[in-house]
Amino acid sequence: MTFPVSKYWRIFRVSLIERMVYRGDFLFGTLLRFLPMVTTILLWHAVFEGSGQTELGSTVRYDLDQMLSYLLLVHISRAFSSMPGLAGGIARSIRDGSLKKYLLQPIDMLGYLLTYRLAHKTAYIVTAALPYGILFYLCRHYFHLEHLDATTVAAYLAALGMAFVLGFYFESCIGCLGFWILEVTSLLYVVNTLNFFVSGHMFPLDLLPPFWATLLKALPFSYLAYFPAAVFLGKISGAALVKGLVIEVCWCVFFCLLSRVLYRIGLYRYSAFGG
Amino acid sequence: MTGAARYVRLILALARYGLARELAFRGNFLAKIFVEVLWLSILLIFYRTIFTQTSVVAGWSEAEYLFFVGCYFALEGLIETLFLSNCSEFSELVRTGDLDFFLIRPIDEQFLITCRAIDWSTAPNVLMGLGVMVTALVQLGWPVTVAQVVLFVPLFFSGLLLAYSFLVMLTATAVWFVRNQSLLEMWWLFTSLMRYPKEVFTGPLGGPIHWFFTFLFPVMLVINVPARTMVKVFEPWFAVYIVVATVLMLWVSRRVFRYALNSYRSASS
Repeated sequence: MTFPVSKYWRIFRVSLIERMVYRGDFLFGTLLRFLPMVTTILLWHAVFEGSGQTELGSTVRYDLDQMLSYLLLVHISRAFSSMPGLAGGIARSIRDGSLKKYLLQPIDMLGYLLTYRLAHKTAYIVTAALPYGILFYLCRHYFHLEHLDATTVAAYLAALGMAFVLGFYFESCIGCLGFWILEVTSLLYVVNTLNFFVSGHMFPLDLLPPFWATLLKALPFSYLAYFPAAVFLGKISGAALVKGLVIEVCWCVFFCLLSRVLYRIGLYRYSAFGG
Repeated sequence: MTGAARYVRLILALARYGLARELAFRGNFLAKIFVEVLWLSILLIFYRTIFTQTSVVAGWSEAEYLFFVGCYFALEGLIETLFLSNCSEFSELVRTGDLDFFLIRPIDEQFLITCRAIDWSTAPNVLMGLGVMVTALVQLGWPVTVAQVVLFVPLFFSGLLLAYSFLVMLTATAVWFVRNQSLLEMWWLFTSLMRYPKEVFTGPLGGPIHWFFTFLFPVMLVINVPARTMVKVFEPWFAVYIVVATVLMLWVSRRVFRYALNSYRSASS
């Protein structure tokens, strides 16, 4: 019998090779991804220029450099936390009956998908490292790193790692809803559209009126984009940082357990349609 | 029956078929419309948040900017309704070799591939965009003359065809990249060049982008020219330029698409 670590290592390798087959498409997509970053930088330059102020925001204020650093950093957060195709793939396996391969083979579906996703993220980060490195180098004057110490860097890396885990289990939960509603695409559209805004991808949540900022920061979505970026910029520190990390761990555990529970209960409803 | 009449009849038949198919899954249809409403709401909240911090962005007041957003939303709605879902399926046709069945039919390949289905769920975006434009004009005190409307309509449709030509070229890349599955995302990334007024593109970074995407690859004209005609100023030179650029880019995109089809090697057995 193969040792489980070796089994998941092979899945990781095969998934990595599969991803690199389409490197032309991948590189072209990565290049296009720079366009919104550039246009966003220019837009916020125009906003600050128009306002005549050096800082914007309600509870926590951002100067232009911090704002642009934030908007670049959320791309790193989303590179870790976004899971394109995960929920749709799980729901499709349930609908077309291909889920039964996980039931017949000695492999856990969520474990397999987590390893597969880890490989894809590795491929993405390795391939995107160069263009992103160039972009961040060109934008280095926006970043002021005087406040960065070992604790902040460690907290940032922990927040990013947990953003990946949270993103994975959150999407898995939506995918597992496929046991009950079969077609989750519409739900996924709604969630992803809302997520784009409430996760702080478009601008720091601190720009919203205090009530809405507090509300959105309490939701798990903020840990997918806003929280890691705000930690890196030193906008969250001390007791607030510890509290934020603990809450993020709680959300990770909650969605991990929820996806397991939904999967187990869902299997009782599963009828294995299809050949 | 003449060639053009045949294509018009085909479009109408496909539109009827598309609507019947959408209405067969009414729940999904309504959910998709809901997502579009949600997306417009998010866009409006985003710009409202920005304009709580400033009264002007790149020389555009909030109401003027609102008109620009409405114009973009309506034009993008037309692109999504008429072409985008068709183009996004092209990569899968190439990958699986099913494109063979499109190439052997007695009809123009580009028409069949890019116009065969109408996505009715995004059609309300056109009305929503129109609603935003009207709201913006009301906020501005309705400074519109008949001449402006007469100029705006053809410039808007010229922008639509110009955007279509870029979409066709982006779609054609699927032949060389084989798996170009994320065309929807790629198009969204690409349209970031249309979503902002051209005055935003200034300085050492924005200046060259402005020049390149206005004169060499004129995607920045798509919304800017019609929107400026209505709420800023009519620039005759740019009006002529967008029409010429549209004709030229339609021709170039057709050449690129046909070149891509010539490079296609069937994947089926």
